Amino acid sequence: MHNNGTNSELFDNLRLELRRGCLVVAVLVQLRTELYGYAIRKALTDQGLAIDENTLYPLLRRLESQGLLVSQWREDAKRNKRFYRLSPVGEEVLTDLLEEWQRMNSALGRILAAPVNRTE
Amino acid sequence: MPPTKDDLIDRYLHAVKFWLPKAQQQDLLAELAEDLHSQIEEREAALGHPLDEADLAAILKRRGSPTRVASGFIPEHRLISPAMLPVYKLVLRIVLLWVLAPLFVFIFLAPVFSSGHPGRALLEFFVEAWRAGFMVVGIVTVVFAAIDRYHAKWVDDWDPRKLPRVPVAHQTSVRRTDFAGFITGIAAFVFWACLMWQRSEIAFEGGLRIGLNAIWSQIYWPVLGVTLARALVDGFSFLRPASTRVSSGIRIGLDVAVILMAGVLLKVGNWVAIAAPNLSAADMTKVTAWVNGVIQVSLICAFPIMLFDLVRQLRLMLRGKPSQPAAILTVS
Repeated sequence: MHNNGTNSELFDNLRLELRRGCLVVAVLVQLRTELYGYAIRKALTDQGLAIDENTLYPLLRRLESQGLLVSQWREDAKRNKRFYRLSPVGEEVLTDLLEEWQRMNSALGRILAAPVNRTE
Repeated sequence: MPPTKDDLIDRYLHAVKFWLPKAQQQDLLAELAEDLHSQIEEREAALGHPLDEADLAAILKRRGSPTRVASGFIPEHRLISPAMLPVYKLVLRIVLLWVLAPLFVFIFLAPVFSSGHPGRALLEFFVEAWRAGFMVVGIVTVVFAAIDRYHAKWVDDWDPRKLPRVPVAHQTSVRRTDFAGFITGIAAFVFWACLMWQRSEIAFEGGLRIGLNAIWSQIYWPVLGVTLARALVDGFSFLRPASTRVSSGIRIGLDVAVILMAGVLLKVGNWVAIAAPNLSAADMTKVTAWVNGVIQVSLICAFPIMLFDLVRQLRLMLRGKPSQPAAILTVS
């Protein structure tokens, strides 16, 4: 019982680490078109990558302060919303990030495909 | 009157606002409010009726406590960075466990046994110990936080060639001895500095007095210097176990100094004079003679001990480098 609890906690922590980088890429990709916070969340959830509000909004602010995003307040459906999109710098960085992602993905694919060599 | 929907949202946002960075408060709150309203609208559309207070409370509860929501927008500040943390912990451990604790036991706990009110003395000891402990932790933390903030680069300013040599297997126990030597040396230094400073006699409760020969005042500074130097050499050897030549050279000098001081002391003969109101003159003479005898034997014993250490240090100095490093990694 205790072991299962520990494993689950361990898995959650590792999953969090794995997701952290992926979420940044996913948000940047999503913001190739202009979107507001709630719409980003909906879009990501619909595509199978749910993101919690308490993760998304601080992340958007951080990416904006790093110059990767630009934002503006605009009225939409009778309410003021903050719309985000990639900045020119963000577009360049995203291209590099996606290339890196492809490289890592290929490498991981090769590692997973390699025969398991068990030594006693 | 039960709170309305807007009332609950306002209260929630107001609570979040308190913890947000001042410069961004309005902007962040407007965005959080917009997100909440979008979420509520969507939920209402799915249910086909307006949300009641319990539904809204559940949404807010799921979103998280105000401090948790605000914490995401607060820049992360570390008082001490992870790279500095091991050094900070080591210094704190050394200061608290190996310096402060023995000093406290020595200076504050000892009087408990001779006090007329042991309970009160013990309470005072604990109060002082806590106060000093907190102060030391505070000072060490502030110093490290300042170093981390203004001179963090020194952590990365290192050269693999300047790292200490891997200690040989037997040096592990030698390092323990060096560390113990450092601690006892500091304790002895404090003892000598406090107890013997401008002292011609030591008085105890009950009228017992130990009169000190003038020689003790004359050798006050040499003993203090040698004790401190010895402690520092042991501390240096503990931190840099490979620097055998330097520490052995200094130890040889200190051994010679101790031999000379013991020689000077031995010539005196009567080092102390005991006086107690409840002892007869004959008994006092006997006690004085016995104490002086013990001091004499101790001084005589100092010669072979120091000579043995001198020869050992000479051999260490001539041998120089450690012969065989201890195994750190075992490759199977």
